[in-house]
Amino acid sequence: MSVFLQPLQTVTVGSGGASSVTFSNIPQTYTDLLIKISARATIAAISDSIAIYPNGSSSNLSETYIQGNGSSASSFRDSYCVVRTSGSSATSNTFSNSEIYIPNYTSSNYKSMILESTAENNATTEYFGLGAGLWSNTAAITSLQLYQLSGTNFVQYSEFSLYGILRQGI
Amino acid sequence: MSMYPIASITAPNSTTYGQVEFANIPQNFTHLQLRVFARSTASGTSTIGNGMIFNGLANPNTYNSHSLNGDGSSATSSAAGYYNILQYSPYLPASGANSNVFGVQIWDILDYTNTNKNKTVRCIGGFDNNGSGNVALTSGLWLNTSAITDIILNVSGTYFAQYSTFQLYGITTA
Repeated sequence: MSVFLQPLQTVTVGSGGASSVTFSNIPQTYTDLLIKISARATIAAISDSIAIYPNGSSSNLSETYIQGNGSSASSFRDSYCVVRTSGSSATSNTFSNSEIYIPNYTSSNYKSMILESTAENNATTEYFGLGAGLWSNTAAITSLQLYQLSGTNFVQYSEFSLYGILRQGI
Repeated sequence: MSMYPIASITAPNSTTYGQVEFANIPQNFTHLQLRVFARSTASGTSTIGNGMIFNGLANPNTYNSHSLNGDGSSATSSAAGYYNILQYSPYLPASGANSNVFGVQIWDILDYTNTNKNKTVRCIGGFDNNGSGNVALTSGLWLNTSAITDIILNVSGTYFAQYSTFQLYGITTA
């Protein structure tokens, strides 16, 4: 399958920080969506979670996750779809490296997604993992909101890039 | 179209490339993606994956990396800190693996020209050897805010096997 990767929107957080990031009016002309995230939060911890809310909804979300922390591996389920982000206790100037892939975002099926993330830290402990997410809703995705689960802010230079992917033959 | 091929390297034999280098990386993209299809000439069935060095700088205590690894029966996580090279990447098949088996890795390097950020990488990869195998998510940190202009991948003391390929792409944003 060849794909066409089209940059749609980019948000770079300014000096005042931001409590959330929203991609609005997402075109309905692609087959899949891809988000690349390089972010850091003001939470007083080495890591936090960024939750993704399709169409602004925090309901009917679930995720199966496998995580490493530099010492051990674990797997769990959650009622959010999240990627990890670096917090203020992580090594300075260090931002997370994450990606969310959402196929068939305009279909009338539930929306499945894959979430990969790392929140690097110059120490043994760092939180990173892979998630299989689901939004149990048949509506087409027209907007995506990204929040820190802790309610803290994204810091300056955090960057969020949205892409549309068009499969060959569409 | 926002994903552009920058360079491609293929090992012509199994005795030439102990390391491969992408030099003079263009600075007009936002993200990089490196796709690896490789095998090592090391002894044994598999070897810890290739190391990575940015901008030719192998200074002590400037790289940290972490691994989440599965071998078909259990999962583990570990860290490799304070190195002079980005140590962890997904395992590669080695000379004791079945013939014609190669490993696959996809590396994402975000915001590689941003001089306000240390550079972080994320990689998924692994290989299956029809009865054994290994799969991993790895992450790495280079404690340097310089723009990345050069990437070296190496397999310490051995070589990348013939037909190993390395492809670097640049990705733009809106």
